[in-house]
Amino acid sequence: MKFTHRSGEARQHPEISALIPWYVNGTLDEREAQRVEAHLALCAMCREDLAQERYVYRGMNSAPFVEHIPAASLKRLQAQLDGAEAAPPAVSAANGRPAAEPARRALPWQGWMAASVALMAVALGLVAADRWLPYRARVQPDYYTVTAPIPRPPNEVIRAVFSPHITLVEMQAILDEAQLRIVSGPTEAGVYSLAADSHRPVNESLALLRGHAQVRFAESTVPGAGDP
Amino acid sequence: MTMAAKNSTKGRDSELLVAVAGGDRQALAELYLGYHRRLARFLSRFTPRYENVEEIINDTFMVVWQSAKDFRNASQVSTWVIGIAYRTALKSLRRQKNHAAARSLDEYPEQTVDPALETEVQDWLTRGLNRLPIEQRLTLELAYHMGHSLEEIAAITECPVGTVKARMFHAREKLRLSLPALGGGGFDVTARNQ
Repeated sequence: MKFTHRSGEARQHPEISALIPWYVNGTLDEREAQRVEAHLALCAMCREDLAQERYVYRGMNSAPFVEHIPAASLKRLQAQLDGAEAAPPAVSAANGRPAAEPARRALPWQGWMAASVALMAVALGLVAADRWLPYRARVQPDYYTVTAPIPRPPNEVIRAVFSPHITLVEMQAILDEAQLRIVSGPTEAGVYSLAADSHRPVNESLALLRGHAQVRFAESTVPGAGDP
Repeated sequence: MTMAAKNSTKGRDSELLVAVAGGDRQALAELYLGYHRRLARFLSRFTPRYENVEEIINDTFMVVWQSAKDFRNASQVSTWVIGIAYRTALKSLRRQKNHAAARSLDEYPEQTVDPALETEVQDWLTRGLNRLPIEQRLTLELAYHMGHSLEEIAAITECPVGTVKARMFHAREKLRLSLPALGGGGFDVTARNQ
């Protein structure tokens, strides 16, 4: 740093140095940009800082980033909005701040209704147990694992298991986004067989499925089109 | 993006927000699609998991939908939307009690790495960014990737300008130590200052 011929520059140094990132991203107004440039001409340290910041700026803007197709997310938001429109607003008016979730208020008749539902469930359970237990004693367990060799549809490319809480709208949105359709399923284990709806590579569709929280499991059944 | 294009985008954003305030779901969808990539990129600095990113984006647009009528043009629409996303993400992070969900190097999905782009410097930069406290990391992201001014970042993060400068100062200092080519003092200004 050489400020011998302009002592005021030394006092300006911290202030100008702090502006360098915004000089790099081009958002300083003209007057501030000129101040920075005038200081840079005299300050080797700030010139070095500038070089570093430009380096970081370029690095951050060339960093790889996985692109996500927003269609499924948007459909999910629209489904949320459909649900929310019937409910009271959960947002405070000021400044778009998310507000605390409104407390649920129990209505007087809800307790009686819950009690009667529980009573009916117990009664039905007793009837079902009476019929099911003798049956179970006669029949061998009939199940298979997800990875067991079972007959599959010829056009199946992916097998997937979705969250038990997924709605049909959400599932369809995910399948649309991944350009897949259901050809069979769900099995007892909840496995769907999916076929390709387009010429999109299977591994891309697989990656999209795996990117969704609502997809619990997804694997390719096409040899060589498995994990990336 | 040219200045004219930026102004055109700002104007369109304002029109869309007015329509959203009037209950226009199509306008909300257009706004959502226009911001999704930017927000996903920004929020991926909070969490590497896309489902978390998506949840924060959707929560953000729920707030946009419900609060659009309260927007008074005190800031740009983009500043407002990104500010909501910033606060929603911080809230989500706090809900997880700690920053365990914040990005760590081990959590990088392999498919994000393009061998052609993944240089040694890129790797240093990524490591350096991930070592920064979340507020410093996001200040850099807002300035360098999203191109926001100092004042806009102050508005988005609801901090004084001085705080934003201080976060940026500390971020730069720590990054300097993470980038051996720069931190060693032998950095060639003329070669990179183009």
